[in-house]
Amino acid sequence: MKRSLRIPHAIILACLLILLAACSSNGNNAGDSSGAAPAETAAQETAAKAAPEEAAEPPAAKEKVVTIGIVNSPITLNQINDQGDSASKTVQALLNDALLDINTSFEFLPKLADSVETADNQTYVVKLNPAAKWNDGQPFTTADVRFTLLSALNPKVESSFRLNFVEGTDDAGKLPEGQSELTGLKVVDEHTFELKTKTPIDPNIFKETFATKVYFLPEHVLKDVSADQLNTHPYFQKPEVTIGPFQYANFRKDQYTEVKRNDNYYRPVAKLDKIFVKVLPATNLVAQLQTGDVQLNSLPVGLIPITEYEKVKALANVNVDSSGPSEPAEIFFNTKSLPDAKVRQAIAYALNRQLIVEQLFKGQAEVIDGSVPSDNPYYNDKLTPYTYDPDKAKALLAESGWDAKKPLRFLIPVGNKVREQAADILVQNLTDVGFKIDVQKYDFGTLIDKVDNQQYELTIFNRDYYIEPSNYFSLFESGNGNNFILYSNPRVDELIHQGATESDSAKRHVIYDELQQILHDELPTISVYSEKRLQAVAKNVLVGKPLNLGMFNRVNEWDLAE
Amino acid sequence: MVSFVARRLLVSMPVLLGITVINFFIIKLAPGNPVEMFINPNTPPELIEAKKEMLGLNSPFFVQYWQWLLQLLQGELGYSFSSYAPVAGLIQERIGPTLLLAFSALIAGLLVALPIGIFSAVRHNTKWDYFLTGLSFVGTSLPSFFLALGLLYLFALKLRLLPTGGMQTLNGDGGVLDTLLHLILPVSVLAVVVIGKKIRYVRASMLDVLQQDYLRTARAKGVREFAVTHKHALRNALLPIIAVFGMEIPALLGGSIIIEQIFQWPGIGQLTMQSILSRDYPTLMALNLVAAIVVLTTNLLVDVLYALADPRIKYR
Repeated sequence: MKRSLRIPHAIILACLLILLAACSSNGNNAGDSSGAAPAETAAQETAAKAAPEEAAEPPAAKEKVVTIGIVNSPITLNQINDQGDSASKTVQALLNDALLDINTSFEFLPKLADSVETADNQTYVVKLNPAAKWNDGQPFTTADVRFTLLSALNPKVESSFRLNFVEGTDDAGKLPEGQSELTGLKVVDEHTFELKTKTPIDPNIFKETFATKVYFLPEHVLKDVSADQLNTHPYFQKPEVTIGPFQYANFRKDQYTEVKRNDNYYRPVAKLDKIFVKVLPATNLVAQLQTGDVQLNSLPVGLIPITEYEKVKALANVNVDSSGPSEPAEIFFNTKSLPDAKVRQAIAYALNRQLIVEQLFKGQAEVIDGSVPSDNPYYNDKLTPYTYDPDKAKALLAESGWDAKKPLRFLIPVGNKVREQAADILVQNLTDVGFKIDVQKYDFGTLIDKVDNQQYELTIFNRDYYIEPSNYFSLFESGNGNNFILYSNPRVDELIHQGATESDSAKRHVIYDELQQILHDELPTISVYSEKRLQAVAKNVLVGKPLNLGMFNRVNEWDLAE
Repeated sequence: MVSFVARRLLVSMPVLLGITVINFFIIKLAPGNPVEMFINPNTPPELIEAKKEMLGLNSPFFVQYWQWLLQLLQGELGYSFSSYAPVAGLIQERIGPTLLLAFSALIAGLLVALPIGIFSAVRHNTKWDYFLTGLSFVGTSLPSFFLALGLLYLFALKLRLLPTGGMQTLNGDGGVLDTLLHLILPVSVLAVVVIGKKIRYVRASMLDVLQQDYLRTARAKGVREFAVTHKHALRNALLPIIAVFGMEIPALLGGSIIIEQIFQWPGIGQLTMQSILSRDYPTLMALNLVAAIVVLTTNLLVDVLYALADPRIKYR
């Protein structure tokens, strides 16, 4: 009996001991890591300070660190395969330079390339900056360009490059099976190459889709990797050799990405020591801006909820302004099950978009009908947006003979709270004029599946932001495999084709004006709002600021005020 | 005992296999696929088709499963569809934080629930008992996400005592004190749920035992009251308690998905959510496998603990 009496105590004791052991081993770690960490950082600091030009100077007192808030976690640092993920693109822009960069006024700026020129809109001559070099000091040459293109266009390599307009690629934009050279690429010398397109294209298309989008691989690091090993090569998990103002320091998915200054940069070396891109929920953004844990939000995936507008405006340590109009949230109609343009127009008249802009967005958005944001040079400003007119909507419905009992499946993606709230208002608007709406909310993967299988009548989401107008219209092309709205109009197809190949800007304006006019009348899609996103930046950050386009153009000039 | 454990492990194998088949099936049943996550009309359909082919998504269900299994038998968990990172590495990186969170919550829960439950049972039908039972009722009923947001608002935003999320301060010293500070809020939330449920179990189990004859005998022969409750009664009451605490481990791992999201805790939960949303099949399968192994192991562990706590139980 006595012996057994001890056992409960023994168990409790054991539990306590385990706990103690856990604590004390933690305690040891504490000693270890806090002991090691400063030493490590100190070592890093001295290493950083031991950079050639600063060798003589005593180490600066404090590291200059800026933290950028982002809501979605970057998926990958792979510079030739960003998976279409905006968060990944954000961090990649810190580590990589493209041939050209772009600013918010749609101007192209030289980066790795000194010039991109063409005489016939088909053969593009690119002259590289002869000073350009990788962060390990190796020169950047046309050999790297060739290696990158041959790797990324290899059918075995997954890449986000969309270059099927380049001569020598197939419809998928890959090298045809068995082909090991890109016929459209001609290397002239170490710093000059020519790229030929299948047909003449507008230089802006070339610049946007090639010169600003393509990042490069270091041939001297990856040249011995076979194509089928490239996707999973460890380099892409830890791309230490890149060519950009900053270089890889640490990537903790769902937590943060840490980049440090590239002391070998071929342009003026960055003034900041480090940048963190920190993943946090949108609701924490304002709080952390306030506490100084985060200095900037980022666009388009570090959006400050518009509901916090007043609060962030009131912060004493933060400057706030609004971006230009961004890619609109669009309602897409399944034109097979809603074939009558009158019904779609009735929907347009039923929507109180002004209310959404004024109340939900507190005026920080604008109403447009088409897909092209109003700051795009090819935006047709002669179109008058559909007004909120429920009576007209009802009249059009009666005229069209629409069966009001037939429910419309309205697919709404979850995740973007403001868009969900806007959709709730839209549903109310539509119900008010007599539509029967079957609201279905899904995660994006499920929604896309439903859309692809035509299990919907209308849905709402945002597309990407493009500079090149043709990118907004390929959705409406009859032959396009991704024309999920099943819209088809021969005249529209013709205009899309003309627009993509016309290089005279005045003629393009005429083409795109007509195209937008037709789409405005036939209404296969209608935009709901084009948000002017909040750009918040701590007052002690110099030069840097969240931007829709080219946020990191001058990131090497970013600095912190003393 | 050794042969019992060996036999149980052997039986676990077909169970594990069955679990993976069902998981694979359910994952495939979910609409959508990893390739067409974004509609971009500027992506040539041929490219989408090529990627599907490359990832083996066009093969019949059983072929896909068989390939996955073959790979697993060679000790390979494959590569994530979205980042091409090795899945084993992804999980290795995340399992530590999750276990830290879950076990801290379990131990904290145990340390609070056990004494309170005993106290409540000994003083049953007193005001103290009602108060504590009421409290445990509140703990069980409170949705954990709500509690999490409430605590965040109070301690992180208003009082600024604790960090809002994450596991370590960015660019900090990475020390344990820093991690502990980050641990307080998520552990508290998870522990409250554990405590709420377990107080009632401990109390009920103790009450059951307290009415046994042998306790009266013990008292009659002059054993002190403390010894009666803490040695004689507790030992016997421990049995069902071990079982429910064992069962709590899988529940904690599941429950931490939400808590990890709210507190940005870099654990398995966040990885799971991301993988579900991007239909990252290899990562999901590996996560399911890990979860299944954890559940089966804890079940086994509970059985073994039973034997240690109760000599009447003999495993043959």
